[in-house]
Amino acid sequence: MIPELNIDLPKDFKVEVHTTQNRGFTPEEIAERCAEKIISVSDEAHPAIQAQARAFQKRIVQLVGFYLREAVKSDRTTVYNAIKDAGHPDLAELIRRM
Amino acid sequence: MAFSGNFMCTSFKKELLEAVHNFKNSGGSTFNLALYTNSASFDASTTAYTATNEVSGTGYTAKGGELTRVDPSTSGTTALTDFADLTFSTATITARGALIFNESASGDPSVVVLDFGGDKTSTAGDFTIVFPTADASNAIIRIA
Repeated sequence: MIPELNIDLPKDFKVEVHTTQNRGFTPEEIAERCAEKIISVSDEAHPAIQAQARAFQKRIVQLVGFYLREAVKSDRTTVYNAIKDAGHPDLAELIRRM
Repeated sequence: MAFSGNFMCTSFKKELLEAVHNFKNSGGSTFNLALYTNSASFDASTTAYTATNEVSGTGYTAKGGELTRVDPSTSGTTALTDFADLTFSTATITARGALIFNESASGDPSVVVLDFGGDKTSTAGDFTIVFPTADASNAIIRIA
């Protein structure tokens, strides 16, 4: 007799929604999300392993946050030059000072 | 009429067996995520995208945003796939849930119904859908 072949497509998935009001996400907020993708810590893991993983996750947040801020600064330089070259030096200066 | 939980569409299960959907990062189908108000009524019997009760507002256009596919993989005996988080930037919108559908397949067939659990609002800000960890217990689409 052939055993039953059962393919299960679970529906216990859950997405999260993050929103902001009158601003974008900060590099730190995005870094937190990034670290969650890189390292997930099981509640069933040994407490010592959980602590080690969370410490590593915290370090990842700091590191990714730093490079995100660098990317923002670099992009702002690009935007500054694009706006200045388009003949709007005052607006470009406002963006540079953000 | 309201969202009543997350659902894997029954028609999607059938269409998997008919090779309608391809989740590969390169050369796969185009999957979109559309946002809806709580007036929408979706469940497992939902078969396709509809513009009825879709949200409208600054930073959002009909059919929502295109999802970035992550190559399917396996973990133990479970196959799974994932999408990159999706952000509607500088958006002023309120949504209660979402529908993921195959935009490149005939008829825009639905994949999953997502219930946010409550209205989510962004005002001149970012509205981001964060997908769960891509593992055998949490990934958005798993075949166990």
